[in-house]
Amino acid sequence: MKFLKNKYTQTIVIILVVGGLLFLALSGYLTPVYNMTLNPLLSFQSWLSVRYLSLREFITSPREVTELREQNALLESQVTQLQTELIEMEERLAEADICFALLDFGRTNPEYDYVAATVIGREISPFMQYILIDKGSDDGVLYGMPVVTQQGLVGHVDAAIASAARVKLITDSTSVVNVLLQSADTEAQLVGSLTGDVSLDMIPLEVNVEPGDVVLTSGLGGNYPPNVFVGQVLSVQQRENALFQTATVQPIVDFSSISAVLVIVNFEAVDTTPLIPEE
Amino acid sequence: MILLAHLVCALSLLVAYILQTAVFSQTPMLNGTADLVLLFLAAWSLQDGVENSLLWAGIAGLLISIVSAMPFYAPFFGYLGVVGISKLLQRKVWRAPILAMFIVTLLSSFFQLVFYLIVLQVNGTPISWRESLDAVILPSTLLNLIFALPVYAIVNDIVGRIRPSEVEV
Repeated sequence: MKFLKNKYTQTIVIILVVGGLLFLALSGYLTPVYNMTLNPLLSFQSWLSVRYLSLREFITSPREVTELREQNALLESQVTQLQTELIEMEERLAEADICFALLDFGRTNPEYDYVAATVIGREISPFMQYILIDKGSDDGVLYGMPVVTQQGLVGHVDAAIASAARVKLITDSTSVVNVLLQSADTEAQLVGSLTGDVSLDMIPLEVNVEPGDVVLTSGLGGNYPPNVFVGQVLSVQQRENALFQTATVQPIVDFSSISAVLVIVNFEAVDTTPLIPEE
Repeated sequence: MILLAHLVCALSLLVAYILQTAVFSQTPMLNGTADLVLLFLAAWSLQDGVENSLLWAGIAGLLISIVSAMPFYAPFFGYLGVVGISKLLQRKVWRAPILAMFIVTLLSSFFQLVFYLIVLQVNGTPISWRESLDAVILPSTLLNLIFALPVYAIVNDIVGRIRPSEVEV
């Protein structure tokens, strides 16, 4: 056996043994041997692996659930925060739209100075059509000043305190506005009602009024500036033996959802009460 | 104790007034609106052991007349009438307070709105009775009846908290 001590011989023997084993394995002669040795090993490995994974899952899973719950709570709070921000942004956008619209009205009517105000309430008595705004005499809002929106005429200031004012709407049953029917080029009176509907009165019989005719303030009487858009004629009523014809008007301003207004602060209403003869 | 009751009543009236102008007056049915101040006063005066409800009705009337376009005396007498009706009925229907609340709401709403209508007509406002009945008085009364029960429950709870519980001997 001395020849095995030679390095070259050892190398050759190892190569031959490995080559032989490879040959036998590839030829399928070692399969029973594999089965006898590897199968128990694999079974044990599988058993151990399953137990280990179960143990690891048992140890680590509660942590993950807690972690996931925390992450979920965090994400939910972020979603809530983002939703709140979204709602705030939408509100700001709506306010900005109103401001831009009011600004647009101011640009198209540059001869007037405006004070923008927010509607903060309505008259308690359901018989009357008034709104409360958040600007008062401290902001230059005084009795009689006309109030408009970007769309058209709203009414006039009926009373003012330092930080708030009460506005009488043109829909109030005691409201009378002198108006001009643009297409017919004739003047009439716009009167309010209990139900908030507005109608035209004192239209001469000979005047041809059509539905859709534009109604503007005439400026007559000095209560409102001229040429402020009021609405459009909806229908015309002519009664027999009546001295004047009447018409129903669709106001351009939606008084049920009015949220911001402009007060024309450089318009001085003329008080004609002393000129009216007492009965 | 009395001071606390007055304080609570004043604060509640203020809250009712703010809610009225900011919310209830902006949510009409036809042209009628619920009157939260009226409901509060009616419910308050129906509670056992509550005193000076007429005083608070007067104060509420004055508070409302400051902001309302109505003649100043109209809300004052209107709310006094509400509490007067409430006090009258409290003695007659004392065993069924919720029923009393509904009857008081019905009668006082009618009384107040008709009173307002008469005042406005006297002052020259062109309002017809029929239109007022259809568009304002009936819807307002209906809304008041709808809100009567929750308002009564809230006021009853408030009064129960500020009033010391009676001990049976």
